This record gives sequence, structure tokens and C-alpha cells, in this order.
Amino acid sequence: MTSPSGTPALAMTGLVKSFGPTRALDGAGLTVASGTIHGLVGQNGAGKSTLIKVLAGLVTPEAGMVAFDGRILPNLRSGDAEALGIAFIHQDRLLVPTATVGEALFLGREAAGSGFGLWRGTLQERADAALDRFFGLTLPRGVLIRDLSTAQQQIVQITRALLTDPKLVVFDEPTAALARREVESLFAAIERLKARGIAILYISHYLAEIERICDSVTVMRNGRDVAHLDAKATTTSAITRLMVDRDVTELFPRHRNRPGGPLLMVTGLAVPPQVQDVSFTLRRGEVLGLTGLLGSGTKEVAKALFGLAPARAGTVSVAEQPVVIRSPADAVRRGLALVPEDRRAQGVALDLGLRENLTLASLGRVSRRGWLDRNAERTTAERLVADLQIKAGGLEVPVRTLSGGNQQKVALGKWLARDAGVYILDEPTVGVDVAAKAEIYRLVAALADQGVGILLLSSDLDELLGVCDRVLVMYRGRVASDHRAADTSAASLLDATLTGSRPRETASHAA
Amino acid sequence: MPPDTTQALTASRYPGSPASLRRPSAPRWRNWAVAVGTQGLRAGGLILFLAVLGGFAIAAPAFLTPANLGLILAQSAVLGILSLGLTLVLITGGSDVVGGGIDLSLAGTLGLSAATFANLNQAGYGDGACVAAALAIGVTVGLMNAVAVVRLRILPLLATLAVMNICEGLELVVTENTTVAAASPLLDGLGQTGPFGVPVLGYVLLAVTLALGLASRRTTLGLRAYAVGGHPEAARAAGIVPERYVAASYVLSGGLGGLGGIVSVAFLNSATGGSADMLLPVVATAFLGFIFSRRLVPTVTGTLLAAVFLGSLSNGFQLLRLSTYWVNGIEGALILAVVGATAGLSKGRRA
Repeated sequence: MTSPSGTPALAMTGLVKSFGPTRALDGAGLTVASGTIHGLVGQNGAGKSTLIKVLAGLVTPEAGMVAFDGRILPNLRSGDAEALGIAFIHQDRLLVPTATVGEALFLGREAAGSGFGLWRGTLQERADAALDRFFGLTLPRGVLIRDLSTAQQQIVQITRALLTDPKLVVFDEPTAALARREVESLFAAIERLKARGIAILYISHYLAEIERICDSVTVMRNGRDVAHLDAKATTTSAITRLMVDRDVTELFPRHRNRPGGPLLMVTGLAVPPQVQDVSFTLRRGEVLGLTGLLGSGTKEVAKALFGLAPARAGTVSVAEQPVVIRSPADAVRRGLALVPEDRRAQGVALDLGLRENLTLASLGRVSRRGWLDRNAERTTAERLVADLQIKAGGLEVPVRTLSGGNQQKVALGKWLARDAGVYILDEPTVGVDVAAKAEIYRLVAALADQGVGILLLSSDLDELLGVCDRVLVMYRGRVASDHRAADTSAASLLDATLTGSRPRETASHAA
Repeated sequence: MPPDTTQALTASRYPGSPASLRRPSAPRWRNWAVAVGTQGLRAGGLILFLAVLGGFAIAAPAFLTPANLGLILAQSAVLGILSLGLTLVLITGGSDVVGGGIDLSLAGTLGLSAATFANLNQAGYGDGACVAAALAIGVTVGLMNAVAVVRLRILPLLATLAVMNICEGLELVVTENTTVAAASPLLDGLGQTGPFGVPVLGYVLLAVTLALGLASRRTTLGLRAYAVGGHPEAARAAGIVPERYVAASYVLSGGLGGLGGIVSVAFLNSATGGSADMLLPVVATAFLGFIFSRRLVPTVTGTLLAAVFLGSLSNGFQLLRLSTYWVNGIEGALILAVVGATAGLSKGRRA
């Protein structure tokens, strides 16, 4: 589909960008025509956000070309895009919470002819007029941004962008924080933009949304645009297949033990508002994956289990004993261990040495009546460093100086000294190089073989398939489906993640 | 996967009960509680204010006489002007108690500026030179704060406390810890009583309030300053450079500290030590001012009301022959109450 003039509003081709050894963009491109809605999809790390950053002038590509509105733009810099008529609507709303709608809409360009003074009445009238013109919406007079609903705030944000009279509007995951009714009003707003002849680039993880409002769609994988499709003529499963990479290197040592009896049983767990009625059982010696889109509730489940978020309802039992976990201290006492995603902030004490970090969770075992036993500390730490193959220049080296992978091993290792029964690993391999990844996987498999239970939160599908026995997929606060890793594929996991569907293949072609 | 599942997939977008579709932010009762809390705090503040005034009026008939009310305004002038300086810093810095904007050096600036004014006056310099020097001292202190906070990125709480210490040290050097008397035509003029029996110093406070009130509420500069304090990233996205506004607020605050010094010399006819005692009242006044604003944010008029409220407390206690040291304790309690309440409300709002 093309604009009346036949030229696309935006054309990006052959873009290349590397960050260190990883190629974020490897010849990527797309075109968006005026008066159409173009979807952009891809897995995490496929290069979508880098592509958008190139457009915003935040990232300079090594090769490739960007053309907008019939002109080639050789070096885009930050701020250029806005000046050319490209508006960005981000997931997080950049609005001053204590401002009125009028103030927030016109902040930075309030004066517009009226000089230095500020007349709030005029501002309010202009705001009312703009909201009515673009969206047929009337908000209460003088209402503050913080008192608006999320969708209303988003409408204000979009209106703010429209006041610059853009030719292209880029939406980056705009529905992530919206409820259904609000999504509908956002879609209506986007349709209005389309009707005004504005080109729209729409990035979303929700394939149903892409199918619902987009005219065309670009699928990205590994830094390339692998397909350009007519959104109305394709299916979500066809898109999913294109998003999944088939050749994955063999990183994953599978553990041998068959899972044993139930170790951690969770029934009807609710953490309002993100999690409703989650139940599952983790067995001894089992690696259980937990995945879902951002906001699907996986993080909240982990937090609630470790006493970091208050659960409204539900029961938890460890080794068939009902337990109440109100704080991390309770969780540790029950034999739970958490390796948090943000290891630098929460997993390790950066300025302390290996010795302190590795014994921090088991001080009772390396001290007598409150006095630290240096020898016991050292033996414990040395054993762990050897077991985990942590590469460091000695036990007293600050953890800050270690590589990401070794820091992660320290974050994990401090629980090994305690012999925890249930490990909750939150994105354990994010920001870790391939070699360290393989070692972490080996460690997970070895732990499972010893009979502990591991709950692995991850958004890396290959990791989930490679390491886990079972994978639970959460969608909008519930466990949507339960997959046996051996019987499922990355495509069907991705499908379940994106649509919340219950796959059929477990029944139709179980291995 | 069989392609015919696609229909099922698209149909099953947003599965689950309506409960899962609700706005994923604060539950309704909490919004309600926050709204009630916000209005309750404002109403409670005003009721307390009026109740205290009413109580004094009944207990001490002299309290409500025009002359006494004018005196309260004049007694509140120094506190009010300094608190207005802090208010500007709170506007651009955000009112987060730990990481937000704060200027603890104001009391020290007052002392140093007053000492400079009085010493130059003693040395025979004219009013023009004395005023210029006092204001220059204030602006210089403000610049130091601005550099420390914006350039060196030191936490305002710590930076301005350090600057406060510098000011106090210099004040002691200048005055050698004695009271320096001062007299001049300007000081005489400021000591007069103006129209309606209100002392000139009261009018000075009102004039400063009016000017800052207009600048903060009626100009684009004021709106942008509030935006910088409310959400710096949103302000930056709107093309505003937050650092400039933050720096300017510290410099202005310093200037008001300098002005406070002159007013203080006019009020006491001398520069006395002990200006550090103003530190807590200034903070109390600026934070108390929050509850007199609709949005629970720092405002110029809110700060004026808070200054007059605390001024009336001291005045009323004097009339009732109660120890005014009680006021210190009340100020401390008010800081805890107001900061605690506003922090609790904004936490409820975020959740």
C-alpha cells in the first residue's frame, strides 16, 4: 500500500550497527507509507529498538540509509527526527504529574504568540480545542495529569505529539500498560491519525493487535528484516514462525534425573493487580521455566514467593508443609533462594570481596556466637570458587571487578553455601557471555540432579527449552499454558507468550 | 502448529474475567483514600490555621487588633522571605525530602548578609553600598550552591549544609561573635509604619510574595520551573534544560537570603548572632506551605500563609505569656507531619 503520491513516508534500508561483538542490526530496513499503519514485530533482541533508535538519532548506524518524506537523511542526530516531523510515543508517559492537561500539552511551547506571560485560561481553551479536534475528547477543566487514567494520559501524550503536526508517528509498545477498554480507545485514536494521512509505525509484542489495526507488517529476526507482509492476509502463527530462529547452538547439558515428589506447591496465588490465581507444583530435581511478556506477572510471582511482594490470596507449601512467607527472611528459613535479575543492585555486594559475598547468606555456618570464623569463611568460599569455576584474582578481590558471568556465579554461589532447596533464578543469563552462559546452564543441571527444585524465570525461549523440564507461560496475570519442554517448540512457546493461547500440540503430537 | 488455531488465538486475546481487564494501576479504594487524604490535609491545615487564630483571639483580646496583625506580618518578614527562597528551590528541585531540592544555607546566608550590612554601616558606607554588598553576598552563596548541586552533583541536602557552615564561619569572623548595631536612613524607613497601620517590613514581605507569585504562576518561566521539579525527564523531552532552572532557583534563593539579612538588620537595628536558629523554621514554613496548595506542591502563596501562621503562633504565645520555645517543638512536629503526610499520599498515588 502506498501514499497517493506513490512514495513511502519512511524508507530505511541496509542498516548495520554493532555493539561490541553483537550485531544488533545486520542489514535491516522497512518502509512505511503515508496514511497506513505499519507493524514491526520481532523477539527480544531482534533489533527493533535499535532500529527505532537509529530513526530517533540516538544510535548512528555503520551502514545503510534512512529516507523520510522524499529526502535522504545522511546523519540523523538526536532531535532531528522531531524537527522533520517524526513523533515518538513511548511506553512510559513523559508528562509532569502535577501539571494540568493544558500545562502538560503546551509545556515548552506555551507562549505561541502571547509573549512571556502565561494565561492559563487560554492554555486551557487551546488544550480543550486540541483534544476535541484530534480525539473528540473532553476532560474535566483543570484536572491534573496524575488524576487521569493511564489511557487518558496516553491520549494527552499523543495529542502533545500531534501538536507538532507530524508526518510519521512511531508507537513503541503503547498498550503495555493499558486495559482492554483503554486499548480500544487508543486504537480509535490511531485510526483517526491514519485517516488524517499520517504514516504510523506500530511496534508491539501483541500479535493480535498487529493483526487488528496494521495494514502491513515487518518481521525482524537477528538484526534483519526477514519478511514484509500484508497484515490482513497473514496469520499470527505465520508471523510467529518467522520470528523464531531455528539454528540454535547446543549450549544445554540436559540433566538426567527424573523429577521426584512435589517440593514447592503454589495454589491460587494472587498478587493484585498483576497476578490472579496462579497454581503450580515444582518437583524435586525439576527445572521449571516461567515465562511471559513484560507485565504478565512472572516477576510478581517470584517476588511473592520470596516475600518481596504481598500476596493477597493463595497457599504455598514447601516439602508438603504449608508455609507463610511474609519476608525474604521467612523465605530463606524455608529453604528458598532468589538470584535476582538485577544482580549488580540486588544479587551481590559490589564492593565486598568474594569471601564476604559467598558466605553472606550462610553467616551462621561461618561464625561462632557472632564472631566470624575466618578459616571457615575461607574454606567455604574456596570450595565454591572451585566448584563454580569463578575466575577471579583471589578471594579478597571486590566483586565489582568481575565479569558479568562471574558476578552471576557469585550471586548463585552464596545460596549454594546454604544448601537451599528451592532456587528462584530470575533471568540468570542476561548480559552474560556465551561461555559463562554454558557454565550457568551446567550448574543448573547439576543442582537439579542433586534433587533441588529450580524455578527459572526467563524470556529467552531457547534457554527455556534447553534447560527446563516444563515451562509455564503466563499471560495477563494467569498461567495460560503448561508445556513439556521435550514436546514443544520455540514457535509454540512464543505463540503462547504472545497470545495466551493453550497450544494443541501437547495433545496432538506428544513425543 | 496447525494453521486453523489462528482464529482461536486471535479470539482469545484478553482471556479471563473482567477483573483482569481493569486498569492495572491502583485499586479504587486507594484512589479514593488518596483523594480524601489530599483534600483532608488541605482542609485540616486551613481549619487548624483558623482554629489557632480563633483560640488566640478569644484568649488574648489584643491578638486581633489591626496593630498586632500588622506586627505579625512584620515579625514574619524575615522568616517569610527566606522561606520563599526555599520554596523556589523546592519548586525546581522537586519536593522529595532526600534527593529533591533543598537549601539549608539560607539561615547562614541571612547571618552573613546581615553582618556584612551592619559592619559596612559601622564603617561609614552609605545605604547603596551596604545593600549592594548584602545582596551580592546572597547571590554569591546561591552561586556556590548552584555549582555544588548542578555541576558537582552533590546531594542538595549535603551541599547546602556545607555551604551553611561556611556562611556561619564567615559571619563569626566578620562580627567576632558580637552584636553589631546599625542605623541609616534606609533602616529608619523600613522601621516605619505604613498605610493601614502595617509596618513597612510587612509590605516588603507582601511585595516579594506578589512578585514571586506572579512569576511562578503567570509566566512561562514559572510553569517550566514547576515542570522541572515535577518530572525532569518530561521537561527535558519538552526542550527545557532542567539544570538551568535548578541553578537559577539556588541563585535566587541566595539573593532572597541576602534580602532577608537586610530586613533582619532593619527589624533588630543590628546584626546579632544566632541566625542558625532560623534553619528549622525556614524548612518548616516551606513544607507547611504545601498544605495550602491545591496540588500539594510548594507555592509562593502557600509559603506566605505558612509564614504568617508560624508568626502568629510566636506572637500569640507572647501575648499569652507562654514560653515561645514551645514554637520550636511545634515547628519540628509540623515538619514531620507535613512531610510524612505528603510522602504517604504520593506513595499511594504511585502504587
